[in-house]
Amino acid sequence: MKDTHHERPVCHRAEDLVSYLYGEAGPTDALDFRNHLQQCDACRSEFTAFNQLHSSIQDWRNEALGASFEPGAAAVRASDLTHFVHQERKLSALAALREFFTVSPLWLRGAIGFAALLLCALAVMMVARLPRKPVETVAVDNQPKYSEKQLQTAVNEAVERKVLELTAENRNSSSAAKPKPRSATSPNRVELTANRQPKNRHPGLNREEREQLAADLRLTLPADEEELPLVLPEQENPN
Amino acid sequence: METATNDEQIVERALSGDPDAFGEIVRRWERRIFALAYGMLGREEDARDATQETFLAAFRNLRGFRGDAKVSSWLHRIAVNQCITRQRRAKVRGETALEDEAEKNAAVFALPLESSPARSAEAIERSRAVRKAVCSLPPDLRQVVVMKEFEELTFQQIAEALEVPLSTVKSRLYTALRQLQLRLQKFGENEVG
Repeated sequence: MKDTHHERPVCHRAEDLVSYLYGEAGPTDALDFRNHLQQCDACRSEFTAFNQLHSSIQDWRNEALGASFEPGAAAVRASDLTHFVHQERKLSALAALREFFTVSPLWLRGAIGFAALLLCALAVMMVARLPRKPVETVAVDNQPKYSEKQLQTAVNEAVERKVLELTAENRNSSSAAKPKPRSATSPNRVELTANRQPKNRHPGLNREEREQLAADLRLTLPADEEELPLVLPEQENPN
Repeated sequence: METATNDEQIVERALSGDPDAFGEIVRRWERRIFALAYGMLGREEDARDATQETFLAAFRNLRGFRGDAKVSSWLHRIAVNQCITRQRRAKVRGETALEDEAEKNAAVFALPLESSPARSAEAIERSRAVRKAVCSLPPDLRQVVVMKEFEELTFQQIAEALEVPLSTVKSRLYTALRQLQLRLQKFGENEVG
């Protein structure tokens, strides 16, 4: 097959040729190029071929769009706009996704699929790790319901009642047990007045218990120190 | 372009919340965009879909419209991108829309009733060959041919729409015509052979 495209010499006035072909050359330029056509075989040949081609394309255009088709004319059919709006609404997310996948390359589809699987796995893991709520007790309608204030009052009353009972028991037990008479003049006994507990603070403790408590706390003096003259001078030496 | 200034004003109205403004843009540009899509895709059904998708994309990206560009440039760019995307999608699906189905459908929808009896088989074949040749052009060349032949825009309007120099439009059109001529010569030789 012979390639005539490469055999034909190309003139440098190619742009003038297309301007003249489509009737866009000015009067002066058109006259000038018309004169050039008579002298240039290449341009004349191309002009003839292009003119025929232009006619063929116009035939195709008229067949397809109709000879009366005017591209610049406004189409004022309201139905077109309605259809346009409907089409916009019809484009669902699924359709858009399908369209996206259709035009995407293979590697992008694979990457998106992998990312989706990863997201699903992460979501499952997060759901599995969610803290569970404690089971709430259901109030039975038959049982009486208390307000917070009522509950507090009931608790206080119960506590006072219990305290009174314990106090009464302690008094009974302390009156039953007779304490030993304490010799106030005994020089062997040092009373640490600073460590005396007020009676009203521990009414349930008798003397033995207090001594035991003091011994436990190592507040009583050791036996070898009992003879030391730590007592008051007037008590130690009455003369 | 006569409507260029007004188009920008209409887009501004649409941006400020006028619900009818974008419909006006659609009415003004629908036929041109359809002609462009038809020339690019070679099939009426695809051209209608591409036209709708073009205006949908324009509506969605209305806020991204640059005020310094023309509406015509903006719409043409969206339309051409839509056409290229559709062709790529058809390729992925293994469709040969521009060759087989287009030929089959073209004979049905393309012929006006009043002229179809008079048309010769040779003219139909010629038209089919032209369509195939145009659709096989590279997108930048095909775009210029379609804008000139189908939209009937002037060189200056094409240059403004594509935002390229006037001389670029002319040289692209010249190159496109030469390639078309070459392909049709091959077609003619094949037909004869």
